[in-house]
Amino acid sequence: MDDLEKLNELTEGRPELARLVQESLEEIGACRDGEDLEHARIRLLGKKGTVTGLFKGLAGLTTGDKKVLGQTGNLLRKLIEERLDEKGRELAGAARSQAGRALDVTLPGRRPRIGHKHLLTQVTEEITSIFVSLGYQVVVGPEVELDYYNFEALNQPPYHPARSLHDTLYVSRKDPHRESPDDVLLRTHTSPVQVRVMESRRPPLYVISPGKAYRKDEIDATHSAMFHQVEGFAVGTDITMGHLKGTLEVFARKLFGEERDVRFRPHFFPFTEPSAEVDVSCHGCGGSGCAICKRSGWLEILGSGMIDPRVFEYVGYDPEEYTGFAFGVGVERVAMLKYAIDDMRVFFENDARFLRQY
Amino acid sequence: MKVSLEWLSEYVDLVLSPERLADVLSMAGTEVERIHTLGARVSGVVVARVVKVKEHPNADRLRIAVVDDGAAEREVVCGAPNLKAGMVSALALPGALLPASPDTGLSESVIRGVMSHGMLLSEDELGLSDDRGGIIELEAGAVVGSDIHEVLPLEDMVLELEITPNRPDCMSVVGIAREVAALTGGEFRWPYREPVEDGGPAGDLLKVRLVDRIGCPRYSARVVTGVEIRPSPAWMQRRLVASGMRPISNVVDITNYVLLEMGQPLHAFDMDLLTDTTIVVRKAEPGERMTTLDGVERALDEDCLMIADAARAVAIAGIMGGEDSEVTDATRNVVIESAYFDPTAVMLTSRRLALRTEASSRFERGTDPGGTARAADRAAELMRELAGGTVAVGVIDEYPEPIVPVAIELRPDRVNRVLGTDIEASEMAGILGRLEAEVEGKDALRVTAPTFRPDLEREIDLIEEIARVHGYDRIPSLLPAGGGLVAGLTREQVRQAKLVDGLVSLGLSEAITYSFMRPGDLELMRLSAEDPLRGAVTLINPVAETGEAMRTTLLPGLLRLASSNLNKGNRDLAVFECGRVFMAGAEGGLPEEVERVGILICGRVSDAGWPTEDRAADFFDLKGLVEDALSICGTAVKAVFSPAEAVFLLRGRAAELLLDSELAGLLGQLDPAVAVAFDIDCEVYVAEMSRDLLTGAADVPRPYVPVGRFPNVKVDIAVVVDSSVEARQIEEEIHVRGGELLRAARLFDVYEGPQIPEGRKSLAYALEFGSAEGTLTDTEAHERMDGIIEGLRERFGASIRGRDSIQEDS
Repeated sequence: MDDLEKLNELTEGRPELARLVQESLEEIGACRDGEDLEHARIRLLGKKGTVTGLFKGLAGLTTGDKKVLGQTGNLLRKLIEERLDEKGRELAGAARSQAGRALDVTLPGRRPRIGHKHLLTQVTEEITSIFVSLGYQVVVGPEVELDYYNFEALNQPPYHPARSLHDTLYVSRKDPHRESPDDVLLRTHTSPVQVRVMESRRPPLYVISPGKAYRKDEIDATHSAMFHQVEGFAVGTDITMGHLKGTLEVFARKLFGEERDVRFRPHFFPFTEPSAEVDVSCHGCGGSGCAICKRSGWLEILGSGMIDPRVFEYVGYDPEEYTGFAFGVGVERVAMLKYAIDDMRVFFENDARFLRQY
Repeated sequence: MKVSLEWLSEYVDLVLSPERLADVLSMAGTEVERIHTLGARVSGVVVARVVKVKEHPNADRLRIAVVDDGAAEREVVCGAPNLKAGMVSALALPGALLPASPDTGLSESVIRGVMSHGMLLSEDELGLSDDRGGIIELEAGAVVGSDIHEVLPLEDMVLELEITPNRPDCMSVVGIAREVAALTGGEFRWPYREPVEDGGPAGDLLKVRLVDRIGCPRYSARVVTGVEIRPSPAWMQRRLVASGMRPISNVVDITNYVLLEMGQPLHAFDMDLLTDTTIVVRKAEPGERMTTLDGVERALDEDCLMIADAARAVAIAGIMGGEDSEVTDATRNVVIESAYFDPTAVMLTSRRLALRTEASSRFERGTDPGGTARAADRAAELMRELAGGTVAVGVIDEYPEPIVPVAIELRPDRVNRVLGTDIEASEMAGILGRLEAEVEGKDALRVTAPTFRPDLEREIDLIEEIARVHGYDRIPSLLPAGGGLVAGLTREQVRQAKLVDGLVSLGLSEAITYSFMRPGDLELMRLSAEDPLRGAVTLINPVAETGEAMRTTLLPGLLRLASSNLNKGNRDLAVFECGRVFMAGAEGGLPEEVERVGILICGRVSDAGWPTEDRAADFFDLKGLVEDALSICGTAVKAVFSPAEAVFLLRGRAAELLLDSELAGLLGQLDPAVAVAFDIDCEVYVAEMSRDLLTGAADVPRPYVPVGRFPNVKVDIAVVVDSSVEARQIEEEIHVRGGELLRAARLFDVYEGPQIPEGRKSLAYALEFGSAEGTLTDTEAHERMDGIIEGLRERFGASIRGRDSIQEDS
């Protein structure tokens, strides 16, 4: 029961008291500014005010009446004080509302400087997180690698052009004329992580490995001496090419959209057999042919395949017991396709206006 | 590789549309990159004979040809240098449609005052090739007046194919025809015919000796005498042109034609230029030199496989013939070489000489050792037909140790286990049979691959064949069961991601610069030769543009980034990079790769735009970013910033970051002299830290500190001390004296100036006292304040300016 209800109960059957309460509250309610409020305060609570008058009237009354009137006076004073304060805050707020100067709300907002992750990092994270959600672990490997891990153990034949000084950046070579597993080079793909992980662990393995890779390419719109890849592989006793397809279909649709078609085209890589290139239907045209897909309706997004038994032999796995699939995604390629970027150089020029776009 | 559909259709029925065929080939591993249309929409062009040629009255370069178009004679103006009376060429009649103007008919027009009633055409104008050197010269026997389509198969489509390195057999029209037959169920037709041999025994005319039997396991040759060198027929020229080759003369064109058709590179020697009509296959002798067909004199060594006669080298085996035995207009007698060279031998020679040709690209992938004699037969027969030659009897065929393919065991259940399919053994046998393999057995299959498929050596190679012909699209898609793996990111990886996210949340944008640097970059940074950062890993074959060393610090990359941005007018920069640096390890071993975090800021601190503080970034902005980065990482160990010196940082404006007493990074203002060296014209602040120390120090979760339910008491004090006293020391003292009731001490002003004695500075702190127990009284707070003031006076001789009134914070 709040104070007003108590007062109403006390003044039950005493209309002149009830009217006094009601008039006092109405007077406060009618105040329009601080001055009104001060006048009301004096009239209600001052020496000659309403409440004082009420107490003055106590002298000639019976004990019972005295008690009722006294309680009424105290409650009324308390209520008036509260209402005066409340009204005071209300009037002050109203005064401030009036004072606000009109703004040109069409002026631009003042935005704090926000940072941006590099687009390649964003795409790498997007790719990686899809596989993490499928149960893959993230493992990284060295960027400066031995020929053994980059080529030899990945079944890259000797004398292959990729192993030449013309295509690969070398730190040291045992014999300047031919390659050796001990040569030190900048890895040309993230695939050596496959060999390193398999060498040190036993299946089942579900691994994703993002990172930088390097090739001896002069820098132009479609080539870069440094680029980014995400390698992935799965090894177990029952991994099939059907699993490769199922996994990469999920991946391609998560990356490019659930409504994309995905197709697997036979291809050749030394470290997988059978091998497949994976295409998604073009998001620019939905497959009917446009500039993004060069009228083919398809975009090639990654290379993949069943891990070649020779690779298993290099790492000491029995190829009869284990099977597995592997794939490699070019991060720049995916970024260029998704965001219609036609020049690879923008990724490494780091123009602040580019960095701020994504 | 380019394959003409018109040519292809000679060996297999093309039942599919070109687009559908391209799709089928692509989905079986031979990717069709483009489909070209040749000579489309040509009409109104007829075969015409040039009756006579007259001078043009008004132009030196033009002449007037009087041509017979089969119905009448007409005059056309022509600028072709090869125009001569008697020649048969292609004439576009008025109204003709040509590739260059497919919608507008050719009109009669006056050329330099002479009316031209039509136009004689070049190959280019017919869309046959890009040859615009003269008008097309047709066979003399072509019927004048007939439509050009009857003479030249103009409308043709060419598939441009990407052949994977494992399929040298597909580098030929025959190979693609076999593939099409296997994929579409059509019948493959061999172009082979027994040659008509009406000369003497070949063995009497030519001797072949294999010295290097490893480099050349098989050498087949044919001799054709009495050839007449002239242009090859139009149909052959057209096919060569459609395949991207230039017609030269009948004999040379035939060798190229068979190369394209069967994938077997041939070489034709002028037999009369071979000393003692002997062929010797051997390695080059040290210091040996020869001039190849392209006119280049080449130095050879013992790695190079050569074709020689009794006296000297006449060809580099499998790559290019020699200039002084090549077929010329005077050639009468020809030796056709059709050999199988070892792929590695050709690859090594090709690499050594940096010379790649149509022939070498086939040999180094592996040609068909079983097909050399047939290719020689084919070329000989074509020379008999098209060059009037006489084919000597017999193939000279040196093949001391025939290459016999090994039978491969194929387990059908293994096929299905690898592919995740349910293919019947009989279907597998059927697929392999269509690819011309010999298949025996029913359950376990024994498969012998044809000699033109060197890529089929193991069971897995056959599994791939079955998969691609069966169709990848018919393999059911499935997700692996997994098997209760503990996957996901490690705790350290989560913290690393958090660091990057944190730096971004501080308003820094991420940059990715090249992992390379130039050794000169470190000199620009004034690092001495002894500095550990000078221990860079260098490349023996660098890309010139990006530098010859692997970076040992992120700073040169960031400074170049700043310089290029400043030059482009991007003056306010706040960037970071997370990446590896490479510290040289043992000779021949791998370097140490260390993850670093670099930060660079310059220009205004905010780019919010209008009415805002236009303050330039300074050292403390940088330090604040580093402090916040540590806070975001959740670093649990004590971070200490101490004055430091670095040659590239401005003296007195550099600090090192110590985490648990371990050096974790360096930050400061770039020395202006270094800035200038990097073409930077403003104040730049840089930091470089160890990522793993930043994130590794955060492995222990920080214990919760209750925020307190009671209001804190806030007190401001200004401490005046000697300028040499470090703020860190003052803060330490404040915390020691303040004890646990001191909840926070925040610096809000630093002042040096006329209002305080010279050599002194004033540091103003806002202190907050509080307790978890209840609201502090003024007295309790004042007691602590007194203790703090006393401590500061005793330790630093501090005086306290205006101890401001205590206020309660609600």
